[in-house]
Amino acid sequence: MKKTLLLLTISFVLGSTLIAQEKYFTKSGKINFTSKASLENIEALNKSVTAVLDTKSGNLQFAVLMKGFEFEKALMQEHFNENYLESHKYPKAEFKGAVVNNGEINYAKDGTYKANVKGQLTIHGQTKPVETEGKIQVKNGKILADAVFGIALADYNVEIPKLVKDNIAKIVNIEVDCTLDPLK
Amino acid sequence: MKKKKIILMIIAAALLFGGWYAYSEYNRKVKDLSKVSADVHFKTVELVAQFEKDENAANALYLDKVIAVNGTLKAIEKDDTNNYSLVLGDENSMASVRCSMDQEHITKVEGLMTGANITVKGACTGFNADQLLGSDVILNRCVIQD
Repeated sequence: MKKTLLLLTISFVLGSTLIAQEKYFTKSGKINFTSKASLENIEALNKSVTAVLDTKSGNLQFAVLMKGFEFEKALMQEHFNENYLESHKYPKAEFKGAVVNNGEINYAKDGTYKANVKGQLTIHGQTKPVETEGKIQVKNGKILADAVFGIALADYNVEIPKLVKDNIAKIVNIEVDCTLDPLK
Repeated sequence: MKKKKIILMIIAAALLFGGWYAYSEYNRKVKDLSKVSADVHFKTVELVAQFEKDENAANALYLDKVIAVNGTLKAIEKDDTNNYSLVLGDENSMASVRCSMDQEHITKVEGLMTGANITVKGACTGFNADQLLGSDVILNRCVIQD
């Protein structure tokens, strides 16, 4: 009797963890951007990125608060927010898209998979299509998602004054690094 | 002749001062919030309510402001690179104030227990409205206030 109860409990516990989670999320994802220009390199990190991945459909969304980017130098942070990205006017950046090759990723099995991501990126009030190849790693019930891609500031109407054009790159590198937990 | 010398000295001093100012301004660091007093004080639920009511109006009022919030500690989150986030608010509500902690000031975080009533000070970066995950007001570079 005791044995059956134990077996039942074990199978119940195992069973409940085996039910596949569909949605994964984070509220503390990281997005880092780097601008490499002839005069100086500028880097900033945002540690409060919200991301949701629906593993069934492959739908993927990110939300980033512009004021959350931290720079090494205060002046850069102020220029970034006040002059270039006008964060008071456009406080949020968003990505809405999908993992195009979602069918090739087995979310139930630990492993590293290539992820082709395609969607619409909104920064500074401008929405543009973006496409990149990222990586999805399934590990111990979590999903580690990362990607690197470049965006042209001109595409998002970010104007850089002539005076500092050698300080800021025309194409900035965006690095995404998120650990997603199952949404219960 | 003497006049010329004085003028030259003034110009040199001005250049020196200008150079020093430009240099220190260029290298100025973002302020450590433990040394800055809060612009406004709120209960977590009050701050969340303001953003939920009118996000644009609340953004205009509070973006970049140093806000001290007092409320119940709902969760302590630590990521793989030792970044801490404290989640404050009403335990029965999905909405919260999320405080991304300043890494220079995390020793106080390590002794905290969920359920405690604490006050955290941070720079407001905005609001993420989310039906699925629960909405959050985000504070950055946070420190715990005694």
